[in-house]
Parts: sequence; structure tokens; C-alpha cells
Amino acid sequence: MHNAYSLLEYMPAVFRALGLTIWLSWLALILGAVGGLLLALMRTSNFRVLRLMALLYVELFRSIPILIILFFFFYGAPLILGWNLTAFAAATAALSAHASALMSEVIRAGIESVGRGQWEAAQSNGMTYTQAMRHVIGPQAMQVILPPSVNIYIMVLKESSIASIIGYVELTATGLVIREAHGGGFAILAIVALLYFIVCYAISLAGGVLERRMKVAGSGLQMDEL
Amino acid sequence: MMNATPVLKIDNLRKQFGSRVIIDDISMNVVPGEIVCLVGPSGTGKSTLLRCVNGLESIQGGQILFEDKPVRAHAKDIIGVRKRIGMIFQQFNLYPHLTARQNVMLAQVVVHGVDRKTAAERADHLLARVRLSHRADAYPARLSGGEQQRVAIARALATNPHMLMFDEPTSALDPETVGEVLAVMREIAQEGRTMLVVTHEMRFAADVGTRMVFMDAGKIVEEGPPRELLAHPKTERAQRFLQTIHH
Repeated sequence: MHNAYSLLEYMPAVFRALGLTIWLSWLALILGAVGGLLLALMRTSNFRVLRLMALLYVELFRSIPILIILFFFFYGAPLILGWNLTAFAAATAALSAHASALMSEVIRAGIESVGRGQWEAAQSNGMTYTQAMRHVIGPQAMQVILPPSVNIYIMVLKESSIASIIGYVELTATGLVIREAHGGGFAILAIVALLYFIVCYAISLAGGVLERRMKVAGSGLQMDEL
Repeated sequence: MMNATPVLKIDNLRKQFGSRVIIDDISMNVVPGEIVCLVGPSGTGKSTLLRCVNGLESIQGGQILFEDKPVRAHAKDIIGVRKRIGMIFQQFNLYPHLTARQNVMLAQVVVHGVDRKTAAERADHLLARVRLSHRADAYPARLSGGEQQRVAIARALATNPHMLMFDEPTSALDPETVGEVLAVMREIAQEGRTMLVVTHEMRFAADVGTRMVFMDAGKIVEEGPPRELLAHPKTERAQRFLQTIHH
């Protein structure tokens, strides 16, 4: 039997694995935000076909368990689409697909929270759709979008542990491997849990700070370019 | 002046929301330098008329020509029309995430490609003209209604529009701030700008307006020089309306 002290020698591997977890979830969040923005613009567009396509996507990926989405990309995609994805790529795709469905709803709510008068002022000022979105609607929507986005990131970070199932050795998988090597027990999993908690809590705190900074200036976001 | 080429030509305009007719066969011209005051009971299509001219509403019949170009709400060239028209809204619609100065700068920079320094100078100049230099760095939430509307006027003037449209600019204001907004509007009027103003301020219309157009139920009922129309309305409907206004 090993003692708890000998777990220390595994710590470099654990922290490397934590890095992979953060990298995987960050990548999924970025891709999810980009996809979510596109979906939200489709959902709020004047074209019915675009609205329906986005709606279908969102409802689909919101309603399927993330594990099944992951299996689809890892086991299904090679058969159906001929894509041979690595475990990392499949996990990124699955997490992004799920995150984008959730982000699109948050971004859509943000866009719709900005009153019609703002669109009309921007249009009357001669702005195109893109200019109005970027300079008038977007900055105001951000205040509504940011708080739930932090929650989505925390969720994605925790969801990324399912990548361990298809053999991607991130934090959870590393904990399980060490546990085997260490003759069972729960100590290493407690450490893994603590690391998840610390990272998630830090993100939550950082989100709170960002949110407060946005509210400080009287009524909203500062625009650095003006 | 009446022989000049119209800047705005409206021919047989019809606007419907579903089966409800809001504007019913309206024709009118506005020539450069004219200050046309649209008056009449609420819900008679005065604001809708302005919104049609700016392409914020689609039209169901007739046509609108601004500087000889047709105004079509969803066409690409509507941007060109809007760039040359300044619009002031009843609810101000300032950008709440930007300071007063940034509100006046935004369209200059984003739409007209003016460099930031020039845009800021012009913003400061215009804020001085609406007597708000001391509030240039304030966000709209920190400004009174009258101050917000004066910023909105500066914002509309920033891109040097060929026509200004005011949609009940003082209707959402506290009585004590109405005067400061009207004072600014009088000054702008004296510069010879073309203005189309929907208002219930009859004194303002009489003093500043070059023409008054009385609308009811989506139609132009009567028009003429403001003082004349106010003193001697010819139609029974205008008489009734003006009686309620004068008390």
C-alpha cells in the first residue's frame, strides 16, 4: 500500500491535466460563443428559414444528453460522415455544439432586451445592421449576456470531464488513472474535485468583478474606441 | 420659396397596419428652408408619416421622394436617405452606454468615416450650442429629459442633415424642461434648416413654422400659414381640435 503522501509525486501530472481541462473547455466556450452568436443572429433575423434552422439546432442540442452528443462525434461521425475525429476533437465538437445551443439563447435574450427605440435611433443615424449591432445593440446586450455566460462556461468546464470516457486524459481521467495506480481510495478524486471547485469558483468571482465594472459607469459599458 | 425644388415629395401615400389604414392618400411637398408643423389629434398618423419618410415603416401605396430618390424601407439605398435626414424621437433614444459626447460622435465616426478628433470637436461645438458643454461626459441616465432631448438634437445635427424631423420632441418632457428644448429648436429654425415637426406646441408652431398641416384620421384636412390656420381654421374638424387645445 502507498500512503497519501506519495500522491504528491503525481501532482505535476494532475496540474498538466488541469491545464488540458481548462484548454478544452475554453476552446469549447469560444467556439460555442461564436456558434451561439451566429445562431442568435439567425433566431432574431427577418428570414423565416434561418429562424427555423436555428430553432431546430437549439432544441436538438439542448435536449440530447451531452454524453450522447459526444458518442455521436466519436463513434457516429466516422460511420455517418466519414470523419475520424481524435478524442480531443470529438470532445471539443460535442462541448461546443452543446455550448452554442445554450449561448444562442442567452445572446438572443440579450439582443431582445435592447429596446426597439435603440434600433430606430441607430437606423436613423444611417447605420447598417452590422454597424447598429456592433456599436449600439451589442454593447448593451453584453450586460445581459455576461452573467449567464459565466455560468455556461462553468458548466462546460465540468462537462468536459466526460471526455475521459472516450479516452482523452484530462483532469478526471488523470484522477482515475492515478487512483488505479495508487491502489484505489478516494484521496486523489477529492483532490481532483477540489481543483474543479477552485477553478470554477475563481471564474465565478472574475465574472462578478467584470459584471460590476460594467455597471460602474453610470449606465453601461465603456466603449474604448470612442 | 414655394417655387423651389422640393427636398421631400410625398405622393398619394398610403400606410396600413394589416387592414387598418393609418395614412390615407396623403400628398405634400417640403421645399428647402421650410418648417412644416404637423398637428392634429393623437393617432392620426403624424408620427407614422415621419417614420415612413425615414424608412422605419414600409408603405403600401404611393411614393415618397427625398431629394429625388425613392424612399423604400427595406431597400439598400435607404441608408443614403437616412444619412441625410436627422431624426429626433419623442423618447430621445440616446445610446445609454455612451456619454453625451460619444452619442454625438458615434454616427460621424461609424457612418460618415469622420476621424475621432474631428468628430469630438464637432460634438463639443454642438453640445455648446445646445448649452450642454458641462454635461459632455455624462451618461444619458444622469441627464434630465430636457437635457437628453438636447443631446439628441445635437446628435441629429452632427452629420449635417439636409432635413430634420422631430417626432413630438417635447411630449415626454416635464413641463419645466419643455422650454429649454423649444428654445434650442427655435435657434436651429433660424438657421434656415428644413424641418418637419410633429408637435402639440401651438405657440412654437405659430412663431417658428412656415406652414402648418392639420391631419386627422390619416388625411390632411387643412394646411396654411400657422397663424392664419390657428386664428381662422376653415374646416369644422380643425376648429373643434383647436378649441380643445386652446381650452
